[in-house]
Amino acid sequence: MDESIILLIILSLCLGAGCWLVFIWAVKKGEFEDVEKPKHRMLDDD
Amino acid sequence: MPTIHEENPSLFSDAVLAQYVVNDGDLCRLDILVAGITCPSCIWLLERMIARVAGVTDVSISYAAGIALVRFDPALALPSAIFTAVSRLGFRPRPYSPALSDIEARRERSDLLLRFGTALFLTMQLMAYSYSLYAGYFQGMGMAIKAVLQYASMLVATPVVFYSGWPFLVSAWQSLCSRRPGMDLLIAVGALTAWFYSTWSLFSGQETYFESAAMIVTFVLLGRLLEHSVRHTALSGIDSLYAAVAQRATLQDQSGHHDIAAEDVRPGDLLLVRQGEHFPVDCLVISGETEVDQSLVTGESVPIVVLPGDDVRAGCVNVAAPVTVQALRAVAQSYLMRVAALVRMAQAGKPSLQRLADRIAAWFVPAVILLALMVCVGHYTLAGQGLGRAVMVALAVVLIACPCAMGLAVPSAVMAACSRSASLGIVLRGGDVIERLAQIQYALFDKTGTITMGQPQVITFSPLGAFTEQEILLAAATVEQPAAHPLAKAVVGFAAERGALPGECRDFVVIPGKGVCGLTVEGRRVQCGSALYFRDQGIDLDIEGDTQESDDTVVLVVIDNVVAGRFLLRDRIRPGSVELVRLLAARGISPRLISGDAQPVADRIAARIGMDMALGNMTPDQKIAMVHELQAQGGRVLMVGDGINDAPALAAADVSCSIIGSSDIALEHADVIINGVDLAHLATVHHIAGKTMSIIRQNLGWAFFYNGIGIPLAVIGVLTPVYAAVAMTASSLLVSLNSLRLMRIKHHG
Repeated sequence: MDESIILLIILSLCLGAGCWLVFIWAVKKGEFEDVEKPKHRMLDDD
Repeated sequence: MPTIHEENPSLFSDAVLAQYVVNDGDLCRLDILVAGITCPSCIWLLERMIARVAGVTDVSISYAAGIALVRFDPALALPSAIFTAVSRLGFRPRPYSPALSDIEARRERSDLLLRFGTALFLTMQLMAYSYSLYAGYFQGMGMAIKAVLQYASMLVATPVVFYSGWPFLVSAWQSLCSRRPGMDLLIAVGALTAWFYSTWSLFSGQETYFESAAMIVTFVLLGRLLEHSVRHTALSGIDSLYAAVAQRATLQDQSGHHDIAAEDVRPGDLLLVRQGEHFPVDCLVISGETEVDQSLVTGESVPIVVLPGDDVRAGCVNVAAPVTVQALRAVAQSYLMRVAALVRMAQAGKPSLQRLADRIAAWFVPAVILLALMVCVGHYTLAGQGLGRAVMVALAVVLIACPCAMGLAVPSAVMAACSRSASLGIVLRGGDVIERLAQIQYALFDKTGTITMGQPQVITFSPLGAFTEQEILLAAATVEQPAAHPLAKAVVGFAAERGALPGECRDFVVIPGKGVCGLTVEGRRVQCGSALYFRDQGIDLDIEGDTQESDDTVVLVVIDNVVAGRFLLRDRIRPGSVELVRLLAARGISPRLISGDAQPVADRIAARIGMDMALGNMTPDQKIAMVHELQAQGGRVLMVGDGINDAPALAAADVSCSIIGSSDIALEHADVIINGVDLAHLATVHHIAGKTMSIIRQNLGWAFFYNGIGIPLAVIGVLTPVYAAVAMTASSLLVSLNSLRLMRIKHHG
C-alpha cells in the first residue's frame, strides 16, 4: 500500500515535471510574449 | 545603439551618460529606466533616495513604465551619482530608450511567467498531498504514510517559496535594509513563517502548513502578472507616439550617404530624407521641395508644402520628393519626444489623495507586523491554543492586511486615465491635473485659435494711402513674418500668393493681443495690428465705420505712421465647439469667451456656439484679472488658450489647456494639451477626469473597507492564511480592474 502511494507520487511528479518542461520551452520560445497581435494577423492584407 | 551593460557599474561614466542628458531650461533632465520596481512602495523609496543626491531638484517616477525622470543642476550633480544611488538600492538603472524599455518589459514578463508557471504546477501537486493530509487528520492515517506525504509536500513547496517567491524575498530584504518596510515584506514574512514553522513541525511530528506558504506566493504572483499586463496596456498610448519616430537616418557628407541610428544624429548634421520616410529629428529643409504629412504629429490630415528654410518636426512623413535637411536638435530633444516625456511625467504625477495613501502605507506595514506578533502571543498564551494555530492566525493577519489595494488605488486609476486620454489625442500633464480638472466651475476660452480654427484667411485687402499694393504687401509681410500669430501667418500667406515675399525685418517687436512693429531694410517703420493698437498710439483712423460687420477681423497696416492698408480676415469655428459648450453647460460649468477682439466679434462668435457670456477687448492683463476674480469668488477656473497673450492667464488658471499648433509658450504652460482639431475632446477629458476621481474614491473606499473587515476577522482567527492570501489578491485585482474601466470611455462621452 505504502509502496504504491510512493510510486504514484513519483509518477505524478514526473508527469508534472514533463508538463513543466514543455511550459518552460514555450516561455523561452516567446510563445506568450504577445498574445494580442497574432489574433489580428489574419485580418491583415499582406 | 549604445547600451550600458547592467552588471557593469564602471560603465556608469559621465561621458557615456552625458549623451542621454537633455537640457531643460537652466537644469538638465535624465530619463532613467529602472528595472526591478515591483510595487508602489519601491517608487516611494526611489524618489526619496534620488532626491537626496546633491543637485537633484526634482524627481518623478512613472510606476507604469518604470522610468525615473530626474531633473538636476548640471553644476552640482553628476549623472553617475544618480545612477549609483539607484543601483545601491538594488535596482538596475539604465539610460532610457523606448526599445530598451520594451525589451525590459518583455524580460520582466517572461521572468514572472516562469516563476508563476512553476509555482502553479508545484502548488497543484502540493494540493493533492494536502487534501490527503486533511483527510488523514479527520479520519486517521498511518504515521508512515503521513510522513511520506509531508516530506513530499516539503519537496514541492520549497522551490515555490525560494525560487518563485525569490523576488519577494529580495525586495523584502532590501526594504528592511533601507528601513522602508514595503508590502513585499508582509508577503515574505507570511511565506517564510509558514515554511519554517512547517519544516520544524515536520521534524517534530506535528501538522504542516506548506500549502499556505506555496499558495501565498502563487496567488501574489498571479496578481503581479495581471498587474504587469495592466501596466503595459496603460503604456500603449505612449508607444503610439514613439512609433512615429524613425529609428534610422541617412547622413550626408562629402563621402556620400551613410545609414546611421537616429540617436546618433547631432544638431547640424546634414541628412537625406527620401520619399516615404519619417523625418528622424526636428530639422530645417536645406534643399529640395516636398510635401509633408504631419498627421502623426499634429493631427493635421492635409499634407503641407515645405520649401528650403522651413522647419519640419520629427515624426512627419515625407510624401513627395527627397529633400536634404539639417538637424536642429538631437532626437531626444525633438518636439515629439517632449510630448512623450510630458505623458510619462503625467503618469508619474500624484493627486493629493495619493499622498494620503502613501502616508498611510508608510506606517501601516510596521503596525501590521506588530499586530501580528501580538495576536500570535495572545492566541498562544491567553487563549491557550497550540503554537501552530497561533502562528497561523498571525499569518492570516499579515496577509489580509497587505496594503496592495491601497497602494494601487490611485496610481492604477491615474495610469489608465492618462493612457486613455493619450490614445484619444489628449496629453494630461500630471495626475494632479486630473484632480483639479474634475473640480472646475468656470471655463474661459480664448477666441482666436481656440474657439476658432486660428487659421483665418484674408478675404479682402484694400490699399488706403499713397502706397502701391505691392509696397504695402511687402511691408506687411516683412513685419508679420517673424510673428507666430495666426493672423500674421494669414497676412504673410496672402502676400506670398500675390508675389510679395517677406524681406528682412529689424527691431521686431510684438505687442501681445494688439499687433507687431518693425523696420524694413529700407528703414521704414511698419506697424500691423488691430484698431485698438493704433488708437493707443494716437494714430488717426478715419476708416473705422464699416470695419466690423461680421466675424471678420481687421488688420491695419501703418507705414511711417500713415495708415496704408487694411486686411479683412475671416476665421472658421473649430469643430466640436458647439458640442463642448453644450456638454459643459450640462455639467454645470459656465463657459465664457474672453477675446482680445472687439466686443461685437466676440458676441457673434459666442452666439454661434451657444455660449451665453462673451467679453471682448480683453488685454492679457484683463484676462489674468478675470481669472483671479473668479478664483477669489471660490471658483476653479479652466483656461483654454493658444497664444503668447494667453500665457499669463494660462499660468494663473487652476487648469490650463492648449491645442496643438499653439505657440510653444502656451504648450509649455498647458496642463492639458489637445492633440487634434476637435475641441469636444476637452469635454471628453473633463468626463475622464470626473470618472477617474470617482474611481479613485471607490478604490480607496474599497481598500479601507476591506482592511476594516478583514483585519478583525483575521485577529479573532476566523480566516486561514490561504483565504487571506486569496482575499488580498482578489482585492488588488478588483482595484486594478476597476481602474481599467477608464480605458473604455469613448470620445464625446
